[in-house]
Amino acid sequence: MSAGAFNPFQMAQSQFDRIADVLKLDAGTRELLRWPLREYHFLIPVRMDDGSHKVFRGFRCQHNDARGPCKGGIRFHPHETIDTVRALAMWMTWKCSTVDIPLGGGKGGVICDPHHLSAFEQQGICRGWVRQIARNVGPVQDVPAPDVMTNPQHMLWMLDEWEAIHGEKGPGFITGKPVGMGGSLGRTEATGYGVGYVVREALKILGIAPDKALAAIQGFGNVSQYAVKILNSFGTKVVCVSCWNQKDQTSYTFAKKDGIDVDALLSITDHFGSIDTEKAKAMGVQVLPGDKWIDQEVDILIPAALENQVTGENVQRISKRVKLIAEGANGPTTPEADSVLHERGVFCIPDVLANAGGVTCSYFEQVQCNTNYFWPKDEVLSKLDAKMTSAFKAVHDLSKKKNLYMRDACYQISVDRVARACRDRGWV
Amino acid sequence: MSTVDERPEVPFGNLIAALRERAKELACLYRIEEILVNPDAEPAAVGRAILATIPAGMQHPDLTQVELTLAGETFRTPGLKKAPDRVSADIRIQNMLLGELAVSYAQPMPEADEGPFLADEVRLVRTIADRLALFAHHRRMREHFVELERAQRKLEGKKSGTLRIVLDLLAKTDRGLHHRISHKMLNHLCRIGIPEAEQLLVRADIPRYGEDEALERETNRPRRSQKGRAAVDLAGETFRIASEHLTEEDILGRVERWMQEDKLAFLIRAAERLLPLPDLADAIRRYHEMSTPDTDLPSSVRAGVRVSLIRRFLSDDLAWIRMAKDHVEISDFHTLLSRMIYSAGSHGRIGGKSAGLFLASLLLARAAKEYPELADVRVPATWHVTSDMHTEFLYHNNLEEIAEQKYKDLAQIRSEYPHIVHLCRNSHFPPELAKGLSIALESFGDRPIIVRSSSLLEDRAGTAFSGKYKSLFLANQGSKEERLVALFDAVAEIYASLFGPDPMEYRTQHGLIDFVEEMGILLQEVVGTRVGPYFLPAFAGVAFSRNEFRWSPRIRREDGLIRLVPGLGTRAVDRVGEDYPVMFAPGQPGLRVSVSVEEMLRYSPRFVDVIHLETNTFDTVPFAEVLAGRVDDYPLLPLVASEVRHGQVRPLNLIDTPAPGALLPNFEGLMAERSFAKTMRTMLTVLEKAFGSPVDIEFAHDGRHLHLLQCRTQSSAEDYGPSPIPRDLPPERVIFTARRFVSNGRVPDLTHIVYVDPDRYAELPTADRLKAVGRAVGQLNKLLPPRGFILLGPGRWGSRGDIKLGVPVNYSDISHAAMLVEIARRRGQFTPDLSFGTHFFQDLVEAKIRYLPLYPDDPDVRFNEEFLRGAPSVLMDLLPASEPLSATLRVIDVRAAANGRILRVLLNADLDEAIAFLADPEIRED
Repeated sequence: MSAGAFNPFQMAQSQFDRIADVLKLDAGTRELLRWPLREYHFLIPVRMDDGSHKVFRGFRCQHNDARGPCKGGIRFHPHETIDTVRALAMWMTWKCSTVDIPLGGGKGGVICDPHHLSAFEQQGICRGWVRQIARNVGPVQDVPAPDVMTNPQHMLWMLDEWEAIHGEKGPGFITGKPVGMGGSLGRTEATGYGVGYVVREALKILGIAPDKALAAIQGFGNVSQYAVKILNSFGTKVVCVSCWNQKDQTSYTFAKKDGIDVDALLSITDHFGSIDTEKAKAMGVQVLPGDKWIDQEVDILIPAALENQVTGENVQRISKRVKLIAEGANGPTTPEADSVLHERGVFCIPDVLANAGGVTCSYFEQVQCNTNYFWPKDEVLSKLDAKMTSAFKAVHDLSKKKNLYMRDACYQISVDRVARACRDRGWV
Repeated sequence: MSTVDERPEVPFGNLIAALRERAKELACLYRIEEILVNPDAEPAAVGRAILATIPAGMQHPDLTQVELTLAGETFRTPGLKKAPDRVSADIRIQNMLLGELAVSYAQPMPEADEGPFLADEVRLVRTIADRLALFAHHRRMREHFVELERAQRKLEGKKSGTLRIVLDLLAKTDRGLHHRISHKMLNHLCRIGIPEAEQLLVRADIPRYGEDEALERETNRPRRSQKGRAAVDLAGETFRIASEHLTEEDILGRVERWMQEDKLAFLIRAAERLLPLPDLADAIRRYHEMSTPDTDLPSSVRAGVRVSLIRRFLSDDLAWIRMAKDHVEISDFHTLLSRMIYSAGSHGRIGGKSAGLFLASLLLARAAKEYPELADVRVPATWHVTSDMHTEFLYHNNLEEIAEQKYKDLAQIRSEYPHIVHLCRNSHFPPELAKGLSIALESFGDRPIIVRSSSLLEDRAGTAFSGKYKSLFLANQGSKEERLVALFDAVAEIYASLFGPDPMEYRTQHGLIDFVEEMGILLQEVVGTRVGPYFLPAFAGVAFSRNEFRWSPRIRREDGLIRLVPGLGTRAVDRVGEDYPVMFAPGQPGLRVSVSVEEMLRYSPRFVDVIHLETNTFDTVPFAEVLAGRVDDYPLLPLVASEVRHGQVRPLNLIDTPAPGALLPNFEGLMAERSFAKTMRTMLTVLEKAFGSPVDIEFAHDGRHLHLLQCRTQSSAEDYGPSPIPRDLPPERVIFTARRFVSNGRVPDLTHIVYVDPDRYAELPTADRLKAVGRAVGQLNKLLPPRGFILLGPGRWGSRGDIKLGVPVNYSDISHAAMLVEIARRRGQFTPDLSFGTHFFQDLVEAKIRYLPLYPDDPDVRFNEEFLRGAPSVLMDLLPASEPLSATLRVIDVRAAANGRILRVLLNADLDEAIAFLADPEIRED
């Protein structure tokens, strides 16, 4: 990467530096946490379908495992760089720590584009990746998961190779496996429900009765759909969702004053995730321009679609009634908008906490695999509720105690937990 | 419409008279039969008896006079008078004229059915003539038989003299053949340099090439006649000379071979002379019945006949003939004829689409010996209506003036076209066409059929009229009458499409407007099976032997491309908007366009084109709806669909079949199975090799067999070399760069940019405004310098789906552009459905309009929106009325906006890079 260009790892380091300053971390701890604890670079020779051999470059970055085995995805990406992998590994450390699950942060990847590879060749890459690092990953060392362009099938191939090398079964080596092959129930619901659980807790703090509260959600994907469902179960009405319309190549907001019916909308949603505008109108749903979700007279805003959606330009359009923003998506609020919201006293549940339901469920998958006992869905979801609620409370307690913005409280609590674990172990 | 012979009603009073006439006729025939039953009867006695018998069969026996010529002798009623009206019939056997029978009245008589004769009398005369022909034939056969026995007796115990006997026999039995063989022998003797033979040639007044001055110099002066020379016994002399110089075995061997060749002479003559198709068909049938294997013929004769037949039936395009002549055998035409519809005077061909399919089917059948995977590939039952039936249809309905439609202004053609469609649909079918279609329909039963255009120009190399003429599906359900009416309507509609504005525009563009275009028709059984009320194939699609759409650098052009859909293949051929055929390269069956679950879910076909057997319609229905309650009925479902379970796409679980909504038609099973890819690849390779150029085919699978539906040469742009990509240009001179799906070539000296702003276009509030953009582009197409402008706009130009997806144009609206750029905003990692394989893209390729998709959101590309939005627009100067569109549609005069520079686009497929930049012009204007 050329000098001056955007470097995600440098950005992650400077973000850490700011928190370290606040936490007054000592130089040794800083130096330890600024860098990955271990980093593996290796080559994966693969026999291609045409008989030739191609060598792929693989990575695994273990940022920190003071709190438990590293956890993080494996990316297949043609433009993968070690700096991206390092930044994401560090991010995983903070995320696991925020929700207080006993896992560290890791990330891995292979420079490749599955569009150019047959399934057989992809299997070769998966097995080759495991062969190169089999001794440094495992249920009690480092637990990979699916990420960009990798899926449950890849995870199964990797697991199979790991088990073959070690001569034992170890389903806890990897998460994101198919249900019935070591996967956990509740994975589909986990992120959206997680958002709902922390929103419920925040409403308690804000003194708003859930059945009086109104919410507006950007997006109509997995997260958004399950967030609506769980909020509805608390009595909270969601007055709008927005979604991209493939046919019109634009997005629309679907609004209904007395609350949208998510199942009704799903029944008129095509495989692109686009809601049929005409049928929606026939159901009495208002079809508004895509950005109208932000103007709604509601108590809760949940951006659960893309990055950089709440910006300096549109933050002023947010109604005075809005008291709570829960970041269902990653990085939906720009720093400029964030400071406006902070000033206005809007309660913010940052992404690292709000959407941590997914990683928490991965942790549950690992736990279930390690004990070789799988829970029913209700049990998974109730444990998720408990975990998210206690994580929220811990962050909120800190924010109250130190009078911190929730976002800052999240970062501080997560870095502090990791730093303390390192110190307790006598590393620094 | 009725083809039944409608006889006038006979009044009851006349009935007795009519019956009496019929009795007379029968009595007469009986008498004739008695005369002819004796084979030993003398010809003179037979003639006299006939003369005496025929009058009794006529209305006016006393006045009847008969004239009979048979076996060289003529018999006349004594005192025969010349009469104005006579009824006559040839006496012939197998095209050989043996004589004539004529009947007349000695004085003028009142008018009856045909002159003074009743229709029954005319028939009587013909019947007697036929009977006489049989009699004469029988006599000749007897004579030959006796001759043969005599010759055999002579040959017994005799070694020499065989030649003499054979030649004598030949001279007596077939004088013409004897004559032709003598000529061949004389030519042979001259060729081997026998001076006596050459002298004989001179004496017989047969010029020999190289000796005749006039022939040698090929002057325009006719040869002088050399009358007055003595008549020569050419045959006798020739064989005398031959016997002096050649051995008897040699001569006999040659004679035998020439006799064999001569057997085919009738076919050669029929093929080369412009006989109407029925006569040619007779010759082919006769040849077929002789059951001579093609391989018994000398190769030059075979080649000659094949070429003639190809020209008559398939194509007169030289390149096509050259390509086909090595693959078609004479016997193949016999098969073709049994499924052809033509009239008595027809001279037409079966048209491009039919010819391509016919040839491909032969190629595959032959290649199956070497490639067993092809053995299972079939071609559905197909009928062909010859191209000139279209002209006959027009003449039959006095519509010939619409043939001049092509010379009218395009706007007029466009405005009059609906009227022409109406005219054709309300026309009557010529009886022979109606009858032919009825027979074809009978053979199809009530299975659905597709009626397709197969014009003379269609599917010729370099001029694929893809999609400009119609193809119509018929459910073919109901009574025969209803089905026939529907078939007539479809044929009429296809006939009308010859005069549609799009084909006219295309022909003008390609200098084909003066070509006498005719429309053949292909009737084909639809490949498929019944699933509930629907009729559809398990899957269908289109395949290209050359892949011009490579989503991975690992895919080579020769790996080919297949576009697959469940149901009818129309959705693979057409651009259907928001639905996606599954694409894969048969040479790289492991590579997928869609890799992640999200991609697979979004970019798979979700709708299916079907024939609804209950409503008798062609419908588009969701895949899930076809399967609702019928998951077990859908053929080859595990190859067609995967199941989506717990967010994963997995092979179908046959024990626990999921709900139809969870089935995703991504063809993973079919692709993973490999045998399909192998069959398709072999098929494409075999066809490409034989056609001598890349091909594209349409196919369908009914669950039992793979069927080939169409085959033609794949029209591809000229393969320019890769252009070097300049690296040191200042950024402000670069208008855009691309790094995906780049082909090789360059587009120099573009003076104008037509830019449809993607954001503004998306904001247009009404469908009318969106359509207005398409119309304005069509007008600009006529105003801007041809091949001097580039079109840049959002989404898919010319999409037949939702108009928000892309500017609504058809080919005639963009035909003068040099390059078409589709701007696609990236969504996730997916590859958008490009126009490849769709009718529109073929037009671009044919017209050498370069195509490039642009992904402005990709890393490392430049998209100079400042220039495109900021440079002055001359739209209002060109189209003053287009003010409301001025923010959306911009026309940049590049030279004016860039100090005399033009826009140049360089493309390099090897680097997968393209660049458009402002450059100094290469072409100097006068």
